Amino acid sequence: MNRQIRKAGTFLALCYLALFVQLNVVQVATAKSLNDKPGNSRKVERDFNRPRGDIVTADGKVVAHSVEGDGRFAYQRTYPTDELFAQIIGTYSFVFGSDGVEKYYDEQLSGQSAEFQLKGLLSPFTETPNVGTVELTLRADVQSAAREALGTKVGSVVAIDPRSGALLAMWSYPSFNPNLTSTNDTMTARAFRTALAADPAKPTLPKTYRERYFPGSTFKVVTAAAGLESGVITADSPDFPVARNYTAPLTNRPLSNFGGSSCGGTLVAILRVSCNSAFAQMGAEYIGPEQMVRTAEKFGFGSAPNIDLPKPVSSVFPTDYGKRLRDGAVPGGAGIFENTPALAQASIGQGDVSATPLQMALVAATIANSGNQMTPHVMSSIRDGSGATIKEYSDSVATAAISKENAAILRAAMIEVVTDGTAKAAAIDGVDVGAKTGTAQLGTPVPSSHAWVITFAGPPGQPATVAVAVLVQAQPGASEQTGGTVAAPIANKVMQAALTPIPSSKPAGPTPGS
Amino acid sequence: MEAGLLALVALVVVGAYTLASLGTASRIPANIGPFFAGMLCLFVVAHLAVRKLAPHADPFLLPLVVLLNGLGYVFIARLDSKLAGQQLGWTALGVLAFCVTLGFVRRVRFLERSRYTVGLLGVVLLVLPLIPGVGREINGSRIWVGIGPVRFQPGEFAKIALAIFFAAYLVEHRELLRTATFKLGPFRTPDPKHLAPVLVAWGFAMMVMMFQRDLGSALLFYMLFLGVLWVATERVSYLIVGLGLFSGGAYLSWMYFSHVQTRVAMWLNPWSDAQGKGFQIVQSSYALAWGGVSGSGLGRGIAGRIPYQETDFIFAIIGEELGLAGATAVLVAFLLLIGSGMRSSLRNTDPFAKLLAFGLTLLLGFQAFLIMGGVIRLLPLTGVTLPFVSYGGSSLLANWTLVALLVRLSDSHPLSRENEGEELTTVLSVKA
Repeated sequence: MNRQIRKAGTFLALCYLALFVQLNVVQVATAKSLNDKPGNSRKVERDFNRPRGDIVTADGKVVAHSVEGDGRFAYQRTYPTDELFAQIIGTYSFVFGSDGVEKYYDEQLSGQSAEFQLKGLLSPFTETPNVGTVELTLRADVQSAAREALGTKVGSVVAIDPRSGALLAMWSYPSFNPNLTSTNDTMTARAFRTALAADPAKPTLPKTYRERYFPGSTFKVVTAAAGLESGVITADSPDFPVARNYTAPLTNRPLSNFGGSSCGGTLVAILRVSCNSAFAQMGAEYIGPEQMVRTAEKFGFGSAPNIDLPKPVSSVFPTDYGKRLRDGAVPGGAGIFENTPALAQASIGQGDVSATPLQMALVAATIANSGNQMTPHVMSSIRDGSGATIKEYSDSVATAAISKENAAILRAAMIEVVTDGTAKAAAIDGVDVGAKTGTAQLGTPVPSSHAWVITFAGPPGQPATVAVAVLVQAQPGASEQTGGTVAAPIANKVMQAALTPIPSSKPAGPTPGS
Repeated sequence: MEAGLLALVALVVVGAYTLASLGTASRIPANIGPFFAGMLCLFVVAHLAVRKLAPHADPFLLPLVVLLNGLGYVFIARLDSKLAGQQLGWTALGVLAFCVTLGFVRRVRFLERSRYTVGLLGVVLLVLPLIPGVGREINGSRIWVGIGPVRFQPGEFAKIALAIFFAAYLVEHRELLRTATFKLGPFRTPDPKHLAPVLVAWGFAMMVMMFQRDLGSALLFYMLFLGVLWVATERVSYLIVGLGLFSGGAYLSWMYFSHVQTRVAMWLNPWSDAQGKGFQIVQSSYALAWGGVSGSGLGRGIAGRIPYQETDFIFAIIGEELGLAGATAVLVAFLLLIGSGMRSSLRNTDPFAKLLAFGLTLLLGFQAFLIMGGVIRLLPLTGVTLPFVSYGGSSLLANWTLVALLVRLSDSHPLSRENEGEELTTVLSVKA
């Protein structure tokens, strides 16, 4: 009998071993996927029932803060600046989910990232909750200036420090009040969500980095850069013929200058007046597809920027120009391809080119920063409850887009656009300001266009400290003046705000009430 | 040794009780003093009973049971204070039943002699819920007896009675059942008429399942009988035939009973009906996964999600709040309990005592396996309680009685450590 008893005992022990294995499967191996199952609300409930750090602007404004909740959850997220940062901070809402900085830095804000977990282990008995405060590079004063300047025009403004990639402002109109999404009163939040979803202006969409628009003539800066990089274009040659329009090889549809005007000349001259005929010919016959695509991609087209915000979209420059058919007419220039007419269009920012406002701000910033494009970012540092810095954003070069010499030529050319060209409204006394306007015609029955300007500004003879992109959507009219008259004054105000140093009264350490 | 272990267990349980209260209400429970005193009192009574009535008993049994009972109480108190009061009362009654059993059953022979009385009692207890007027159907299972406000699951006691009867019956008939005289093709089997008990047990289990819709108990009865039959006869053919019949029965019940089909479907994929029939299993999986390795902490889990969290699904709450570590500790406690039971079965030389100790251990160990396996989705869910841990008066009383018998059996043939090896060698060589 003992043999059987031992065997039965062994059998039972094996049963328990199976239990142990299955426990490991459920509690360890597949725990993460179980926790993430749709319908499992444990994670969400936990998140909404624990403290969460503040989000603070570079000039010390608290833009996201948690207070003790009186409703369903222990805490409630509030946004003291209402709609000002809604699209970039995102929301942290039981109904909406989360987005923006709230989502990207969720682990740090909730104290779940490795740094905070380690800290929690090392000092388990601290008074302050172990959550992170995210300090932004964004400035509330610059953001407010952007909001004031744009007013009730539908559009976007991006301001960036070209030297570091630190974003100073990212504003789109219309925005929304995030307090109505984060309320613990889920009925209100749901009703608000329904209303927002029905709004054709998509107020919750962060258009500065998640929506693409035709860049129009602002793209000519990239074309000019491609020409300089290829070596066929220099500051003095070629001298493009003065013409009313340009007809590319393989087509008989001419590309006209704005208002049927005539223009031509060397690089600085054609950039100053935004000469369509010259830039179309430059792209199609001098530079060619390979160099155009290469330079556009070096400026960031074709891939999403490595920004610390969720789901940035990539800007588009078409890459397929078909087979090479024959040599071109320009000595040392480009061959003729099946889609050379499309390249002519793309070279002046028309056709299939589209870019986010962030991308166009990066183009200006790259010229201003000697051809080096810095990785754009909104976080400057993360601090713990006691104010000690846990992590600082370390600036990095995203791409070396063009050479220092070519950047200097383009910088000078863009300054000419402000002193003597289409962007006079961007000028600021005693400051070197460079710009390029753009007017992307929308082909609507009543003529309308996106008014653009990309600018940079800095102390005379010194590196620029701010670069700006302004997009005003669907403005009446289709004159090249639109970008200069509508967008440039907005950029002017935003640059002035950015050039004003941050007041030194910035509070140190954790903000009151946190 | 037992006293030392009990003191350790008392510390663990009181500590857990305090932590659970801190976790749920952030304060040290006001009744910690009376609770501690009351629990200590129960332990001391049980300990003294063992010392007085079974002085050479296995010193691990009682502390392990107290640990499981105490831990279960902590979790019930953390989930529902009203149930906790009742559970405390039932625990006191359980300890009383333990002492009475130890006092009443002084010699195992007594049980062997009254086997038919006990067997009859077992059958009566088992069919009691089916009698109109007395039986009550709760949650689709007709396993309750209600007399006035008092409700009871007689099946919990029937298990013990039948374990005693099986052991006694098989000891009596084992020689007949062992001899293979009948030829069936290439196999030699015992005379079919001796196989009748197996068939009766099988039919009985099926009947229980059909009329009472109590899958877990049916399985438990059948496994108990099969195990004891195999150990008694040392014939593996019984095991094979029995498992064959089991497979057939399982298949038939899956074919014809919708509730069996549901259980299997919800075992394989509870997410197919996560808000309905699979709700318990799905929520239980979420709770366990949430607990992870170290658990959310006592009283810090998100309770109130799983229906029957105090009874069948208490293991899921343990897994959530104490994590893999705590759940494994419960597994190990049961495994040690099984080890103690099996050891006393091996050490006893009297066949009846051997078989009874084995049967009772199998009952306890397999029941715990069934429900824990069901909760963590290793097996289809069968609604049985987790012995000593789950809330439930019948279950607690019955299991304390069962352990009293195990304590008695571990005492009835005390072997000194010096000749233990010799004794085992003798047993083995006799067999060989």
